[in-house]
Amino acid sequence: MAARAETVGRRRPRAASSWLDRHVRWLLVSPAILIITVLTIFPLVFSIWVSFVQFDFSVSNEHPWVGLDNFKQTWQDPVWRHSLVVTLVLATLCVAVELTLGFALALAMLRPFRGRRALMVLIVIPLFISPVIVGGFFDLFLRRPFGPMNWLLSQLLQHPVSIDFTIDGRWPYFSLILADAWQWTPFVFVILLAGLSAIPDELYEATEIDGARPRQSFFFVTLPLLTPIILIAVTFRFIDAAKLFDIIYSLTRGGPGTETYTSSYYLYQQGFEFFHLGQGTAGAWMFTILLTFISFWLIRRLLKPVED
Amino acid sequence: MSEDNTEDLGGIFERPIGRRDFLFDSAKLMAAAAAAGPFFMAAKQAAAAEAASVGGDPIATIAAAAAKKNYSGVTISRIAESGPQALEPKNFSGPLWNKLTGGKVSVVEAPFAQIHSKAVAEHLAQSGALDVIDTSPAWIPEFADRGVIIPIDALVAKYKAKATFADLHPLYRLLGKYKGKTWGFFDDGDVWNLYYRKDIFANPKLRSAYRAKFKKALGVPRTWAEFDETAQFITDQMAPDVYGSGEGRALGNPGNQFYFFQQFRNSGGRFFNPTTMKAEINNAIGVRAMTDIMKEVKASSPGIEKLDFISSWGLWLNGKTAMMYAWPPTGRISENYAQRDKAFAFLPKSKIVGKVGYALMPGKNGEHAGSFIQCVSADSKNKEAAFLYALWATSPSISLQRVMLPYTLRDPYRISHYKSKAYRALWPSAKEYLITLCEAANQAVIDMQMTGAADYANALDREMTAIYAGKDPKKGLDDAAKEWDSITQKLGVSNQRKAYAEFLKLPGATAANTVAKLGLAVHVK
Repeated sequence: MAARAETVGRRRPRAASSWLDRHVRWLLVSPAILIITVLTIFPLVFSIWVSFVQFDFSVSNEHPWVGLDNFKQTWQDPVWRHSLVVTLVLATLCVAVELTLGFALALAMLRPFRGRRALMVLIVIPLFISPVIVGGFFDLFLRRPFGPMNWLLSQLLQHPVSIDFTIDGRWPYFSLILADAWQWTPFVFVILLAGLSAIPDELYEATEIDGARPRQSFFFVTLPLLTPIILIAVTFRFIDAAKLFDIIYSLTRGGPGTETYTSSYYLYQQGFEFFHLGQGTAGAWMFTILLTFISFWLIRRLLKPVED
Repeated sequence: MSEDNTEDLGGIFERPIGRRDFLFDSAKLMAAAAAAGPFFMAAKQAAAAEAASVGGDPIATIAAAAAKKNYSGVTISRIAESGPQALEPKNFSGPLWNKLTGGKVSVVEAPFAQIHSKAVAEHLAQSGALDVIDTSPAWIPEFADRGVIIPIDALVAKYKAKATFADLHPLYRLLGKYKGKTWGFFDDGDVWNLYYRKDIFANPKLRSAYRAKFKKALGVPRTWAEFDETAQFITDQMAPDVYGSGEGRALGNPGNQFYFFQQFRNSGGRFFNPTTMKAEINNAIGVRAMTDIMKEVKASSPGIEKLDFISSWGLWLNGKTAMMYAWPPTGRISENYAQRDKAFAFLPKSKIVGKVGYALMPGKNGEHAGSFIQCVSADSKNKEAAFLYALWATSPSISLQRVMLPYTLRDPYRISHYKSKAYRALWPSAKEYLITLCEAANQAVIDMQMTGAADYANALDREMTAIYAGKDPKKGLDDAAKEWDSITQKLGVSNQRKAYAEFLKLPGATAANTVAKLGLAVHVK
């Protein structure tokens, strides 16, 4: 009896060890799975449920099933449709401006010159500033009558300038693009500079021997080789710019009226200021799907040169 | 009077606020925020409050004694508006409560509109993170219906504290009530008055120019038409040194709906058709009110559309504005009473001390805008302790000390506050100030107080900023009305009809049922 007990006792640690061997991979990944389930999968599934029930603090504490009503109500809200247009227009313009300026800066900074390193540090500083602070800074900079912008323009144009850059006409869009470009052009610049630096000098030497002019070198060597890098920059920036929120929040608050409401700002307000959570979540899903399509298209374009 | 004549007007013009001043004031604001941690308790008020809590005031005494006996060591958390509003519990009532009862008060700060969202978020999460919620009367129906706050009638009866309501001005007595229950203790008399520069209105050259132009004497405006006319006249004569009017009109700060609600109802407007619940803000009365508001914007300092309220106070204190309609702290800051405290260093020292007169709003009906009621959170784990703190803090004697604190933004609301000899001695014209506040409460119209109030307010606020930016007033109001109708649809027409009917019963819901019109007016001498 004692011998049997001894055998069982010896077998147990061996069995445990073998179980451990077989399942150790699951044990190692289980904390990550648990965290992802709790922090990602559950909220995701919960948000799907919220978008199909009435989850509106102002209406009731009950959450009856409402089918597609939240989606319909959001879609029928003219402010939401306007915000989608604003989002696409602003994101496109921001990316276009940042790409143009970033490219120009990268070309200008490609060759070494005195003070280049210090200048590069200065150029990338805006990247490290919180977008809310950037919005606040531009609010003070552009504000009438105290902000220096009107004064600077008055000095420059030699006649009094009094523009409310966050209210008058189309100026609020200009202000937002200015603030966003100020912060994110350095990002595009850094990526494009890395891409430009990676193009071998031999290629330019070969084109020079072939008698190509600098313009031709640019269009037939630089641009084609840089296209994948440009697409990376555009993809990252577009996805980020489409979520534009912080600068809007601190610079225009979506105003005047709802003129500069982006989708993110609209959804924030619906969800976390008014607690129309059903409608806000339905809108967030619509926006995610739209953004996924655009991102998918951009990534396809990005991968195309690699596939070719 | 031409611009050249401005020099002849002697001392009435102040140095224009320049960019350097603006930046300097902004820097001071940041420095004040950094320095806001230290203990600012006003010793005189603290001593009086302490004496009231140990026998001087029966309600304060009962509350403090019960808390000391049962809740010593309990920490309650109170959410208050960030800035000077939060300084009061941080530096005055919180430390004093701790000294008297052994209980602690931890203060959560949030901007005005975010108190609403934070309270709702904590309620949805059932975190129990908040015990006392500084609730705007406009939110009471929603908070009560959704179970964010609890009725306090049973606790009031338990502690025999009903007398605390008797001393409230009649305008404020019913604001904490909803569906026959009491939901909190009223705590801030936020009624608007007209503050004007006596020296400008008394200036002989300006008066003669006014008489020459309008064939009548220059006087403090009594109607909105007179206000617009006078404000524009002063701007035409004195700008850029002084502008006729100057209320900050940034989106959400303070909330442009207040301006519209005030003038719209003063002209006889009502928010909805009580039967169909269709919005009526875009009718002829609404368009006229909005057109008048645009005249006020035109007569104000450039950039006023983007200035928050605190910044417009900066203009006023620098002597750049001749007339300002605003909350009661305007009277205190004009006399430098508030700026004696470091906590108010974010505002410039007043250059208009002794020059400010107080009057009822044009058309008499000033807006009772914003304001706070101290409510007990339904998710609180220390409901009774929270109740006792709110009861104590808003009791007649303690509340008097709190509204007299130099750095406070709490404004007088009890009849005993208006009559207080101590308050009347704070600056030479304090008595006149308190009498005007009491009279203003008699005539005031109150904010919309029904479910969806925040949504309706936001829709109107947004459209008003669009109108400031050039949108046609009628079109803007039509769009706002459309949005109001869709909010009503979403909340249920029948529910909203009942809610609006309830709201209309409150004194001040319309210009036709102010406290004065109901025969409930209180007059103090």
